[in-house]
Amino acid sequence: MSHSPSAALPVGHYAYDDVDRTFLKQRVAQFKDQVERRLSGALTEEEFKPLRLMNGLYLQLHAYMLRVAIPYGVLDAKQMRTLAHIARTYDRDYGHFTTRQNIQFNWIRLEDTPEILNVLADTDMHAIQTSGNCIRNVTADQFAGAAADEVLDPRVYAEILRQWSTLHPEFTFLPRKFKIAISGSQQDRVAARFHDIGLISREGENGRPVFEVFVGGGLGRTPIIGVRLRDDLPEEDLIAYLEAVLRVYNAHGRRDNIYKARIKILVQALGTEEFLNQVNAEFAAMDRARYRLPESTVEAIRARFGAPDFAPAGNAAEKLAAQRKADRAFDAWVHTNTHPHKQSGYCSITISCKPAGGIPGDVTSAQMDLLADLAERYSFGELRITHLQNVVLGHVRQDALYDVWQALEKNGLGEANIGFITDIVACPGLDYCALANARSIPIAQKLSSRFANADLQREIGPLRLNISGCINACGHHHAGHIGILGVDKRGEEAFQITLGGSAGDGDASIGQILGSAMSEDETVDAIARIIDTYLSRRTAGERFIETCRRLGTAPFKDAAYATA
Amino acid sequence: MDRRNSRRDAEGTSVITANRLLDGRIVWLAADGQWTTLIQDAKLYPNSAVEEALKARNARAQEEALVGIYGVQVTETASGPLPVTSRERIRAAGPSVHPDFTPDWHAPHPAPYA
Repeated sequence: MSHSPSAALPVGHYAYDDVDRTFLKQRVAQFKDQVERRLSGALTEEEFKPLRLMNGLYLQLHAYMLRVAIPYGVLDAKQMRTLAHIARTYDRDYGHFTTRQNIQFNWIRLEDTPEILNVLADTDMHAIQTSGNCIRNVTADQFAGAAADEVLDPRVYAEILRQWSTLHPEFTFLPRKFKIAISGSQQDRVAARFHDIGLISREGENGRPVFEVFVGGGLGRTPIIGVRLRDDLPEEDLIAYLEAVLRVYNAHGRRDNIYKARIKILVQALGTEEFLNQVNAEFAAMDRARYRLPESTVEAIRARFGAPDFAPAGNAAEKLAAQRKADRAFDAWVHTNTHPHKQSGYCSITISCKPAGGIPGDVTSAQMDLLADLAERYSFGELRITHLQNVVLGHVRQDALYDVWQALEKNGLGEANIGFITDIVACPGLDYCALANARSIPIAQKLSSRFANADLQREIGPLRLNISGCINACGHHHAGHIGILGVDKRGEEAFQITLGGSAGDGDASIGQILGSAMSEDETVDAIARIIDTYLSRRTAGERFIETCRRLGTAPFKDAAYATA
Repeated sequence: MDRRNSRRDAEGTSVITANRLLDGRIVWLAADGQWTTLIQDAKLYPNSAVEEALKARNARAQEEALVGIYGVQVTETASGPLPVTSRERIRAAGPSVHPDFTPDWHAPHPAPYA
């Protein structure tokens, strides 16, 4: 069965109006003028650099890289086709989904950028605040609006935060970048404790939402688990409280040392109690009426989101059960790549962008077009990019899963590995990134090939493997059950292994470094021995992270550094 | 300037590199004073002379539509200069994960700007 997207409003994301569209076009015109002045020499590179970064344009190792915002990871089929068009026309036919639910194009020309931004604006997209010391793209639960365990739709609040933070005059030049994540259920699917601000929602006593507020988490050079500042922030105080947190950070965050500029350093320096006191003092002094978020505003924003028009479940579940029974490969994919839906007869599916031996998060323009087609046909025209570099179709009928899976299989997107060792998160690394010390992708490809056997992956079970090419940790290696960090050893690449990290639900932990760095091939072999150790030492039903916590790092370190 | 870009031995040899302003692509300074995308054509400088050469080229950066001009230490090989660091070897050859994206890569179907 297929669905048409709602004619009136896009399902899953906020519908722009003329004000939004006029603003975007003005912004494109402004950047076009800035580019022209740079090319004429009227602006120096030093003057121009912050302006291009405010529009998501970096100068990377081989070319300019454009990071396009995908607010809370949600986009529609038309927008996905725009991304495919950009990949085909202005880049080298592919894009890279990032751990902030955005997309990056690696081969952009400066002189094309105003036109690219214009093309993006035609489908209500942009690259604003994908760089710079401002509030970045707010990330949200990839199963928003669909998950069976959802308390509220986090996209509505992510959109409110997007509107609050976009070009916010006080917060355009923060001490450092600022990242917010929001989960719509009690289960933390957004790594809330590793964000500058992480929000976990639940229903309050009056039926309106309340938020747990975590502050000062982060990865990078100084990995820190965020502290809980509030466990019951009412919806109406959401903006006021976040504004208070940002004000304290803006006033006292360090601008003299880039490595100590994030809010996590300030929270640690002041101590949680003092930081909380300062936030509370700021909060108490604010004009609360001005910052109050009334229910009517929340509902007005919610009304700009299209909702899926679900069909009755019928015999969808029975049909799916029969198809699973008849096709073992399909059954395995359903087992790993689907998530329970709140609507009977539906489920959410996670499409793996991690084929065996492939580049994590990279998709071709043809694959983007296929994803758009599938979204249009089977999921109300809506897609989500996950912070684990995969793609989600939020609302697929159970009796359509087999058709979707077959289409994905034919196009290199049918890998049944979500949550397994080959569902690797990796930054672009030294193959593209000007900051990287080592390449992340080749070692990801070797590990993906090494563990490609589906039966072996199932035997290993849930395992997060994250790879970063430098200490900035864009691959979130500290939060991986197994993390790999690329380092520079006198001009040569080497890799450290960390063990025991987790961004998971209520058990966030930072991976511990096992020992000295090794070459790429030595690291791959070491990880294979770590896995062997796990398989031989685990108790019945024990996940990898649980075995790590029970045994500590010692046996895994012995295995990693054992010589043949 | 990234400190990694300034690692040069007193006795070594370097080439000069930059990114083109228009498209960000990597170029190398050739013996004829032109900028080339192929490191094989780059002019070799003794490290004792490279800072002076960099100063001169930086003064012309806007005129030549270049950004980020710096020196890269190399070893001389039969196939041309080879950077001593992984980073610069990847810059010179293109991303290792796309062997087809060599420095002289052209789109199979030229984009509108080509």
